[in-house]
Amino acid sequence: MKTVLRTEKLTKRFGALTAVDGVDLEVREGEVFGYLGPNGAGKTTTLRLLCALIAPTSGGAEVAGFRLGREDAQIRAQVGILTEQPGLYERQSAWENLIFYATLYGLNGPTARAQSERFLRLMGLWERRFEAVATFSRGMKQKMAIARSALHEPRILFLDEPTTGLDPDAAKTVREFIVALRGEGRTVFLCTHNLDEADRLCDRIAFFRHKIIRIDTPDHLRAELYGRATEFRLMPSPRPEDLVRVKAVPGVHDARLENGSIIVEAPDPLRTNPLLIRTLIDGGAQIAFVTERKPHLEDVYLKIVEGHA
Amino acid sequence: MTAIAIARRPDRPALVRAVCVREWREALANKLLVGMTLLPPFVILLAGITAVAAAAVNPPSERDVQALYAAAPAVQGLDPKEAVQGFIATYFLILFMLIPTVVPLTMAIYSVIGEKQMRTLEPLLAAPVGVGELLFAKSIASTVPSVIVTWTAYAIYLASVASLGSRAAVNAVTAPRWILAIVVMVPLLTLLSVNLGILISTRVNDVRVAQQIGGLVVVPVVGIGIAQVTGRVVINNEGFLQFSLFLIAADLVVFWLAKLAFQRENILVRWR
Repeated sequence: MKTVLRTEKLTKRFGALTAVDGVDLEVREGEVFGYLGPNGAGKTTTLRLLCALIAPTSGGAEVAGFRLGREDAQIRAQVGILTEQPGLYERQSAWENLIFYATLYGLNGPTARAQSERFLRLMGLWERRFEAVATFSRGMKQKMAIARSALHEPRILFLDEPTTGLDPDAAKTVREFIVALRGEGRTVFLCTHNLDEADRLCDRIAFFRHKIIRIDTPDHLRAELYGRATEFRLMPSPRPEDLVRVKAVPGVHDARLENGSIIVEAPDPLRTNPLLIRTLIDGGAQIAFVTERKPHLEDVYLKIVEGHA
Repeated sequence: MTAIAIARRPDRPALVRAVCVREWREALANKLLVGMTLLPPFVILLAGITAVAAAAVNPPSERDVQALYAAAPAVQGLDPKEAVQGFIATYFLILFMLIPTVVPLTMAIYSVIGEKQMRTLEPLLAAPVGVGELLFAKSIASTVPSVIVTWTAYAIYLASVASLGSRAAVNAVTAPRWILAIVVMVPLLTLLSVNLGILISTRVNDVRVAQQIGGLVVVPVVGIGIAQVTGRVVINNEGFLQFSLFLIAADLVVFWLAKLAFQRENILVRWR
């Protein structure tokens, strides 16, 4: 996949505070890239840098093929940003808001109207298009803001906490929208605190606290930190001899009892699990189910980010 | 699959039109702003028409006439009633020059501080639009209604004076330098006030504080007006041209200062 965003030692200082410290990133076209870090880590500052809203103190970046600092207007035409606050004109209708922004992005009349209709329908707001935004719920405003950020079909969409404060239904709409964007070959740069969401949506994740701590796929991060674990649920419950047999199987690194299951850590479960199943059955155990054990991304995050602190 | 963005830099007329339409819709929906915009011209107009009508109905006393001749040597030699009406008509024309300094200031201040308070500036600045273009569009959005309001008020005043006042009053109101002042200086003063309002709004977050600071722009206008009507200063054609050139220069300098203050990074990082 082509690289659509590349930074080189991107740095932003505000007086004595270094908000973004020498960030080197490569984001590929068509991927959902998660940018995770604690409050005050500099995530929003990174977004503003990459959208050419503020200038770096040092370092550089190439965004959608344009050089930051030299081709800022072109960058802004190629990217969309969902800011922390929806920032909508509340006295005006949903339709008027989108038409205004479509004009700012240089879309002509028919295209502006077609795009506004498309995104209002996509976000389920078409029926209320002529109502003032002030009458909308928080979730509807957030969906409006997402529609605005994507109106001009940006190559890269920067989303800052897109589902914060949304009800499950609205959050689902937003997640489906992100998946649809990826399907169109657009890149999504997702800043979020919602680790479950990042786990579900992101192809790769960067853990960030003023500087990049780690970048990898969620699965690789889990495997590296926690190994690959499989849960064997036995009926009625595992016996001590079952655990002894399991530990003796070649390829098993570790095994332990946990809430009526045997948790087995093995680097190559595809090879080890059939052996384990056969061993347990031969030993007279009754297997209720076998399932891959994934540590929560939250555990991974805490281990990496808090460990780094 | 490579995604394609369909955005481009908007052309300037489309940008100005979009910003104007949006700001006017926003302004019309804000009753307080509409009231603050229309009240000063309404009060000045009402007071002016009433004063001219009163002067037409009530002949001035000898004492009033002497006081007038002393205060305004320019009207000496005219028939007392005509002189009083001419003086009053001209005096209120000076108040008309306050409209372009007061009315657009409020709108310009709301145009920036309103966006600050609604937190709409960040998505606005994320668009592929230059801040100078954006500022220019905002200036036009505040300038046009104010100029139209002033011209409309002048037209109503002119019609009222023509129907109620003496020949001297009509002559005073339609004097070439006053027509030029209305046609040329009103837009220039309006632009100055608008850009000053924008400049002040970049530094403060409270509409009232911004209005109080911006209100200082009326002081030189009132001073020159009073000096002119009392005959202390006679703005002849050359003086008029010089004052117009000064206003053009002041407009450019204040716009440049506003543009300096209205930078993306300043707005996003330092404005609170």
